[in-house]
Amino acid sequence: MRKTSGLLSAALALGLSAALQAAPLSDVSEIVDRANLASYYAGDDGRSEARMKIEDAQGRTQLRQFTILRNDHADGGDQDFMVFFSRPSDVRGTVFLVHKHVDSDDDRWLYLPGLDLVRRISPGDKRTSFVGSHFFYEDVSGRHPQDDEHRLVETTDTHYVLESTPRKPGEVEFERFVTQVDRETFLPMKTEYYDDQDRVYRVMEVLEVEEIKGYPTVTRSRMSTPLDGGGTLMEFRYIEYDVGLPGDIFSERYLRNPPIDWLRREQD
Amino acid sequence: MMRRPADRLARLLACGLLAALATPGAPAWAADEQGSDAQGGGDETAGFEEDWGDPWAVEDQGLTWTGFVEGGAGLRFQEVEKLRRLTLGELRVRAETSHIRESYTVDFKGDLAWDEVRESLDGQLRELAVSFTPLESVDAKIGRQVLTWGTGDLLFLNDLFPKDFISFFAGRDENYLKSPSDTARISIYTDPVNIDIAWTPRFQPDDYLYGERFVFWQPAAGEAAAPAVARRAEEPDTAELALRLFRTVGSTEYALYGYSGRWKQPLGVDAQGQPRFPRLRSWGASLRTPLHEGLFNAEAAWYDSRDDRDGDDPRTPNSELRLLLGYEQELVRNFTAGVQLYTEHILHHDRLLANSPDPARAREEWRTVTTLRLTHRALRDTLTSSLFTFYSPSDEDFYLKPSVAWRRNDQWLFTGGLNLFGGNQAHTFFGQLEDNSNGWLRIRYHY
Repeated sequence: MRKTSGLLSAALALGLSAALQAAPLSDVSEIVDRANLASYYAGDDGRSEARMKIEDAQGRTQLRQFTILRNDHADGGDQDFMVFFSRPSDVRGTVFLVHKHVDSDDDRWLYLPGLDLVRRISPGDKRTSFVGSHFFYEDVSGRHPQDDEHRLVETTDTHYVLESTPRKPGEVEFERFVTQVDRETFLPMKTEYYDDQDRVYRVMEVLEVEEIKGYPTVTRSRMSTPLDGGGTLMEFRYIEYDVGLPGDIFSERYLRNPPIDWLRREQD
Repeated sequence: MMRRPADRLARLLACGLLAALATPGAPAWAADEQGSDAQGGGDETAGFEEDWGDPWAVEDQGLTWTGFVEGGAGLRFQEVEKLRRLTLGELRVRAETSHIRESYTVDFKGDLAWDEVRESLDGQLRELAVSFTPLESVDAKIGRQVLTWGTGDLLFLNDLFPKDFISFFAGRDENYLKSPSDTARISIYTDPVNIDIAWTPRFQPDDYLYGERFVFWQPAAGEAAAPAVARRAEEPDTAELALRLFRTVGSTEYALYGYSGRWKQPLGVDAQGQPRFPRLRSWGASLRTPLHEGLFNAEAAWYDSRDDRDGDDPRTPNSELRLLLGYEQELVRNFTAGVQLYTEHILHHDRLLANSPDPARAREEWRTVTTLRLTHRALRDTLTSSLFTFYSPSDEDFYLKPSVAWRRNDQWLFTGGLNLFGGNQAHTFFGQLEDNSNGWLRIRYHY
């Protein structure tokens, strides 16, 4: 049951990207939408394990390990995420649940096993550290494309270069960001965030892309803060798409009782 | 009380903590840092693999033990009769593991702690429970476990699971506010509504103040003090049943609650003048929903004091209504504020006054409490500062709980804080605790 329609979607994805390579796009919203889909909506659902190495300005390191389950309601639309932490030991068993909404604030919950407490997190700011890393919550679940105005500033042989400025500058810490989107895969390969003094203070770089079930997938990336010297390296492995996750997994029931069958790696 | 072996063990534990303290950083990282240097730092991803105790390819097999070793110390700000200045003095070892199988999971969490205040070595089994899914839409968890529900933040209306206020007032980790109970929990998930049933065959009271560590109001003496003899009330051998019906519609969570058991603290007095746990039944409801840019919650509970329904027995608490409104919002990045308005309304208050031996000090008909929680997170969540305040306009008393936690790395956590109690009168809820005001520090090493 867990492996279905993989070949078909792989063929489709490859066919599409090959066709698109021929002529560069000039419509910026189409590029942004495709980049959003490529980054956050591969397959109808997905499962992946992730590790993060967080290094602060003094060179001290911390590690995180977790498994992510994702289910899309519609491509480019609402999504559910569940993040199950296994390391370090003080967060082991903690589960993070997000119902991501395109038209309203996301709903977020945290399960704290020590108290058996399902805590709802106030909507608030998504541009704060994701579990102590340099990635923000919004980097993990995706920033809504309509939150910024986008401009295609350059089309190189390999990339579209986009400049994005926030529609609500008061809600974010950046003045603008510049993204290099791969022309073939539509994955954003590098994003530089500029502060109010026009300094690059935050950089996301993709270090490795693998094709999984036909979907080009970022398997290694780094978020760094050049002004203070820190950064977080994130790796994904054991990625599966279209595994047939039941929608009801993303609920209080499975916050308290992790869905072991879906957290286990494929046995083959 | 077996002083000698316990002392020896405590010394052993202390040596263990010192050894841990003396170990600089984590060995795995030290190795990695050297490795990166050797490679000239050219590849920023080098050494990532080596940082982990196990390679990716191996999933957790068998039992993985985790936990922590923690030393904690806390002092009362002033001397009181019969009690030590020390309010927290312990060395604690926690061990946790899970045994996960296809059809069931067994979870274990246990503590062993040398308590310098009580001069005893205490073991506490915090969790030993088996979880399984007997039917597709039914989950069961049976055994010792911690249970929580309801929407209040440090205010509990429909959550009548046991709480450990001694730990809370002494500055132990917030997790210790919840005590475990031996309970069978059955959760039934259906389309219209989900149902939680928690059956505890033997009544499990709160860890309430009884004379060790903290003073509290002594009606006979007319002052807050430690009782002549520190003694817990006799615990009745009766069962407790707690129910919750809950459902999430869109972004709004609704719940209905029921409880049949006893008041969780010995608020009654028996014919011999000894404290006892009167019978209690409660019904309630709650909702939690996004509102404006934050979260709103409302909760209500009716406490039916079954041993004094008419409210004319001064030795048994009256029935009450409890109401709570709460709102929480992130005000600016990494700074969150939460406010709560809470009230307890004593039913048949006129009869309570008419029958009270000391009407001047009887509970107010409406006891109101406001709380404010401010939380600031800095340095990518490694430095968390928090202030929780309880203030009661009706009782004119307060409880302030500021704390700072610094997570140095994945292993070391340093936490410190204060518990400040005060009020205009010596008999009110927080006012009676004034002489217990204390400061505390804890150092924890996670393994």
